[in-house]
Amino acid sequence: MKLSKNFTNPLAANNPVIVQILGICSALAVTVKLEPALVMGLSVTFVTAFSNLVMSLLRNGLPSRIRIIVQLVVIATLVIVVDQFLRAYMYDVSKQLSVYVGLIITNCIVMGRVEAFALGNKPWDSFVDGVANGLGYAFILVLVAFFREFFGSGSLLGFKILGDWYTPNALMLFPPMALIIIGCIIWVHRSINKDLQEK
Amino acid sequence: MAINKNSNGYIIIYTVVMVVIVGALLAFLATSLKGKQDANVLNEQKVSIMKAFGEADANFDGVVTMGRINGGEFTVVEKADQQAVFELLGNRKALGEATDNLPIFQMEKDGVVKYVLPIVGKGLWGDIWGYVSLQQTEDNIIITGIVMDHAGETPGLGAEIATAKVQDMFAGKALYDATGAFAVRMQKGGAKNEHQVDAITGGTKTCDGVNAMLETSIGKYESFLRGAEAEVEADTAAAEECTCGECCEEEIVEPINEEE
Repeated sequence: MKLSKNFTNPLAANNPVIVQILGICSALAVTVKLEPALVMGLSVTFVTAFSNLVMSLLRNGLPSRIRIIVQLVVIATLVIVVDQFLRAYMYDVSKQLSVYVGLIITNCIVMGRVEAFALGNKPWDSFVDGVANGLGYAFILVLVAFFREFFGSGSLLGFKILGDWYTPNALMLFPPMALIIIGCIIWVHRSINKDLQEK
Repeated sequence: MAINKNSNGYIIIYTVVMVVIVGALLAFLATSLKGKQDANVLNEQKVSIMKAFGEADANFDGVVTMGRINGGEFTVVEKADQQAVFELLGNRKALGEATDNLPIFQMEKDGVVKYVLPIVGKGLWGDIWGYVSLQQTEDNIIITGIVMDHAGETPGLGAEIATAKVQDMFAGKALYDATGAFAVRMQKGGAKNEHQVDAITGGTKTCDGVNAMLETSIGKYESFLRGAEAEVEADTAAAEECTCGECCEEEIVEPINEEE
């Protein structure tokens, strides 16, 4: 597989969130504000990239009977590494993300990419695939968080954008709005990429 | 001979090696980052306390007196024992259950004495906690500042308790109403009297948690607070009426809140 296609595919045409509909749960939870969404996106990118790399390196010696357990151990370890570093060096953000960092372990994208890609491809390809899928996820998260923070709080990254005349739309802060926004993004995406439309 | 990767022996050795490596890695990481993480937590506690005092830019060390409340009596905590107090503040479960030896912080500025008490409770999804700063007035105790934080309240709704917008509303609220009952609360539908503040729309459960937290956490200090309040009153009364030492002592012993 071409490396460049390997990288660009998950960003748009085969985006994990809006095409494969994976990782929706955390997209609902951390997209109220832009900053946590950004850090969450980068954390997931780190975890998908390195779990893909490690699993690809291990793939030849891996007993297939316990491969899911090994995948979970590797992913959980990487998530704890992220969590510990955030606590030590980005304490405020780590407090904002609270439990959601730990919940990266359960993000379907991470295990999905290890299972579907890393176990059958070379380490470097797998690493690129992990980065690309993580960024594809991060991009959607940031897009959703942009709309939710802008209309829900009238601010972006905590800075007030809309003046006092704007009454924040509290509906945007509820999780269902994230789902509706993702739905709208999928709608736009499919109307542009006609080959994704079911006949 | 090729190794059978699905034999029990291979799997057991594989898992043991994996667990040892992962365990060593995480243990190394946790110990090497622990100092930095603990410093973050301690610093956050001190900053929160100073924020509650309304002196966010001041340095905690040197201006704040740490104390413990035992049976309504204030005792100063020596420097050597301060670590234990911060550890207790970090252990929300133990802090919530504590009934004596309660931590308290005192700061005097321009002749005004303020106290900061830690508060802990439960919100909708998890723990909520913070610090409230109190000051005695002649006939009541008022909140001069409050800092609150949460483990996992809904962002934009219950989590708003951690914002200045909500916390600023508490400033100047008197703790006890005319009957002497604890009256500060976040009121659904908007504040209805001078003790109440507006609750957060969509965050009612969290606000209920804040109400319970304030009442129980401050309630534990009530004997101390009422005692101090009585002293302030007695001093005022003494200055106005008394000429002898005896009646002043009586005034101090007498319970307060009789004049209404």
